[in-house]
Amino acid sequence: MTRTRIARPRLRLSGALSRRLCALALLFATSSVLSMSQIISNTKQNNDAKAHSTEGLALAKAGNLQSAEVELRKAVALTPADAGFLENLATVLAMEKKFDESTSYFQRALKIDPQDLVARRYLAANLWQLHRYTEARQNLRILLNANPGDPQALLLLGMVSENIRDYATAAKTLASVPTLVREQPESIAALARCYYHIGETEKARAWLKELQNHSGGVQATLLGVQIADEMQDYTTAEMLLSSVAQSYSDQTDLRYRLALVKFHAQRFEESRQILQELLQDGHKSSDVNRLLASCLRALNRREEAIHALQEAIQLDPGNEASYLDLASILLAEKRVSPAMELVQRMAKAFPDSSRVFLSKGSAELGAGDFTDAVRSFTRASQLEPTSPDAAIGLARAQANAGMTEQAKAILYGAIGRFPEKARFELELGQLLLKDAETGDKSAEVKAEKLFHSALARDNKLAEAHYELGELALRRGEASRALIHLELAAKLAPSDARTHFALSRAYRQLGREQEAAKESSLFGKLKE
Amino acid sequence: MVRPPLRSSYNPTDKKCHRALRQLFFISLGGFFSVTSLALFQHAPSSRTEIFTDATEQAGIVWRHFSGESSDRFLIEAMGGGVAFMDFDGDGLQDLFFVNGGETPRGKSDVPVRNALYHNLSNGKFEDVAVKAGVDRLEFYGMGVAVGDFDNDGFPDLYVTGFPSSALFHNNGDGTFTDITHHAGVKNAGRWAAGAAWFDFDRDGYLDLVIANYARFSFDEIKKCELNGVRTYCEQKAYPGMPLTLYHNNGDGTFTDVSEKSGLAKLVGRALGLVTVDVNDDGWPDLFVARDASPNLLLLNKRDGTFEDSAIDADVAYDLRGVAKAGMGVDAGDVNGDGKPDFVVTNFNDEYHSLFVSTSSLLYIDQTVRSRLAAYTKSYVGWGAHFIDYDNDGNLDLLIVNGHINRVVETTRVDVKYQEPPLLLHHDGKGVFRNMREEAGSAFQSAYRARGLAIGDFDNDGGVDAVFTRLDGRPVLLHNNVGQNDSWLGLQLQGTKSNRDAIGAKITVETGKRKLVRWITGGASYLSSHDKRVVIGVGDDCSVAVNAEIRWPSGTIQQLSRLELKRYHKVVEPTVNEPAGRKRK
Repeated sequence: MTRTRIARPRLRLSGALSRRLCALALLFATSSVLSMSQIISNTKQNNDAKAHSTEGLALAKAGNLQSAEVELRKAVALTPADAGFLENLATVLAMEKKFDESTSYFQRALKIDPQDLVARRYLAANLWQLHRYTEARQNLRILLNANPGDPQALLLLGMVSENIRDYATAAKTLASVPTLVREQPESIAALARCYYHIGETEKARAWLKELQNHSGGVQATLLGVQIADEMQDYTTAEMLLSSVAQSYSDQTDLRYRLALVKFHAQRFEESRQILQELLQDGHKSSDVNRLLASCLRALNRREEAIHALQEAIQLDPGNEASYLDLASILLAEKRVSPAMELVQRMAKAFPDSSRVFLSKGSAELGAGDFTDAVRSFTRASQLEPTSPDAAIGLARAQANAGMTEQAKAILYGAIGRFPEKARFELELGQLLLKDAETGDKSAEVKAEKLFHSALARDNKLAEAHYELGELALRRGEASRALIHLELAAKLAPSDARTHFALSRAYRQLGREQEAAKESSLFGKLKE
Repeated sequence: MVRPPLRSSYNPTDKKCHRALRQLFFISLGGFFSVTSLALFQHAPSSRTEIFTDATEQAGIVWRHFSGESSDRFLIEAMGGGVAFMDFDGDGLQDLFFVNGGETPRGKSDVPVRNALYHNLSNGKFEDVAVKAGVDRLEFYGMGVAVGDFDNDGFPDLYVTGFPSSALFHNNGDGTFTDITHHAGVKNAGRWAAGAAWFDFDRDGYLDLVIANYARFSFDEIKKCELNGVRTYCEQKAYPGMPLTLYHNNGDGTFTDVSEKSGLAKLVGRALGLVTVDVNDDGWPDLFVARDASPNLLLLNKRDGTFEDSAIDADVAYDLRGVAKAGMGVDAGDVNGDGKPDFVVTNFNDEYHSLFVSTSSLLYIDQTVRSRLAAYTKSYVGWGAHFIDYDNDGNLDLLIVNGHINRVVETTRVDVKYQEPPLLLHHDGKGVFRNMREEAGSAFQSAYRARGLAIGDFDNDGGVDAVFTRLDGRPVLLHNNVGQNDSWLGLQLQGTKSNRDAIGAKITVETGKRKLVRWITGGASYLSSHDKRVVIGVGDDCSVAVNAEIRWPSGTIQQLSRLELKRYHKVVEPTVNEPAGRKRK
């Protein structure tokens, strides 16, 4: 299923520059005792630095940020211990979106003057931009300790909390600065999202409604649509869309967004109709075709879905998403040859795309071409070292290619590296079970521990429950097996294997009727 | 040639054992067994005797299988190669029959594709007499063979399976055969038949015929599969399965198709190997069918002409995860010594060849892992398999032959090969097997595309020998060098009220130390047929003689006592139940 996402907008700081300019009046003077020549030299340096700084600020005010940066760098070079100059430079760099470097200068400035709350606020904003949320939060807490009611800090803390999914704190914090929140559609959106997450749907809806009359115009409302859609409040999403039906000049985009919401709401036929109308009206685009393909696939009209994706590719050969979607359908349909042809094309067209090599590796795995799959997943990992999918794919390909030790090494490494440890623990456990089957008895114990660990992290892992149930069943512990298998069946009711195992467990316990029922379910699901 | 003295592990100081050291040289049983000569193989054994010697060349077997392999990659090209041990001329020596494949639309042969019937010349040599016998040519692509004396005239007949039909050759008793397929009504037309087995399912004294049909297939339909741009054989799931065929022997040279009536026709799947044996010990033969990516079948005889599939209840239909493995070959034997048949089934690589061991109820336990079969077979695609007590220690060992179907497999993974070695697995008596690769012989350290496997004692020395076929290659005949060293009992049963071959008989041998149960089964292994005699190893028990009970297929119970070891005994079914105490020759 394709889900079109609009990039999450960032909070724009207002009034930063004017406040910064005011602070520039403060300059540091050295307090150490110096010789006359040093004093004369230092005085000259300070004066030169001040001149560069003044020039830099003027340039910044005039909007010439590049030249302003040059001047301010000179000022800092002459008097590197001047917190003011450091902060000025940091501010201009932030305005140029050079957040990393800006951050380091703010940090240097704060080392000299830790009490500078303005610098700290800007540092926190930088860190938020850089997704360094924990550090951002630390700095904001310092700010709020010094000044508990600092509204800017509260706003930013709310946004940061939302980013790290501490929705309760985020909601409380953002709600404490409603005026500031209302200023920006992005902060309204963030608060609404928080309310959705903590189950206060009505409050979420109320805030999203504010976007309808926001000065941000249609774009603000569309942001609200995105949030409601993301949080599966499709009624609100549709309501917001219809509220801009008259005022939004881009009706194509409006209809597309409506189709998208209906698709997410699983009203595939309604979505399909809108999209087909768009195409008939001449609004051909790869996005429309891709979404149409998703609808058709959901409606089991797979040939048409394939055709729509082929159209999408023709319309926009540079959009890798269309290729990926097409590869996904072909593989699901077990059309191995066309899938393989497609992924070869993709790899040539997008040689630096990790997702493409992930798809290629999956196709090769499905085709039984395990050694090539190893190569593809290796490439995917190289292109995107933080991709857990690439790591898992590589391990699977290696295991299937008979490179078991390498597969285990990848998985052990991944457990250490990635936050999604449960997934890797499950995969490694299953690999160790194979070792146990071919002679390594200790591997079974290790596997069992891994399954338990995976469940401790995520007790909704049906597969882990299944494996533990299976192990218990093999040992003749049918009652214990039943606990895990029944959970597995609840979590993944269409997994035929689980019902097969359940039927065996019930039979072992003499519960023949239930055994027969599970056996029958297994038979149906296998087909 | 002078037969070397019997080697024995007997204790010479023991009087009983001392008697046992007498040299028994001639075995004369009504003309059915001729003089055997054991110093046949002039191979120079290594300082440690290899268990099996490759005797193919010495035997003069030059026939080659032809698969018709072509760029079209018809799956049938990768599947054939049946073989049978049989004494077609009644001279007491096991002969060999090899089924050839055939041409395909683009897989042509420079020479006519012929079967081979190798007549055992008693000196370790064989002579191909297929042409003279009239069994050299088939009108179809050949697959397997089932040997059985369907008319009880004392001469074994041949049912050859294939596509798009099969054939029944009646043994005329004079060294020739006649194709009576049409007259008998057993053509099995339009079907791709793989394994077949003779068994008397209604216990009327005549052998009936069950056929494992594999898949819907046509040379007009080319399925295209490839890997890395190379054409490969498509996986079996690309071919829909077929029902079994059951022909009832009318006793007059004709058969009736009772597939529907028996319930077998509704069991649709890709059936390959099958074995007939009495699973529930009620005296009526049952059927285990190994199926390829379809669940196995355990068909219990309901004694009314119908069968009921109990594979799921018995836990033999699928593996432990509910997967229908790629079952190819199957055999039955009492591995755990409980007197009930256990089953081995060969499967594809990564699936492991399965070992299902009986319990006190109908339920079977999957002992594939515990037995170490999983460890030995992970990387192999298995075909013919047979339980064989190669060392006659009383424990059933296993002989399995392997070989992949796609050459390209070696470019896709590092642990699976196209050609694979056979496996000789020694059973310790406690359910665990050991790979005897180092001691088994050079054939076990070579790799083949092996398919059919048959066992038989072609030199009558009590060491059970074996033969396996190879796709597009010469078969391999293996002589057993060690079986004769330990004590064994050979039985050749002749039914009177029961079918003459005594297929379905249950034999229980008591050695004083243990009770060993064996059956004369129908079918077994893959596409192949075996020496109908039973060799029962009794291990290091140094008794001279043992007692045995035979339950004949008719239900007659016969007790035999003081049966001499290290010889074959011909036993004819009595007209009434015979108590112990009467010694039979």
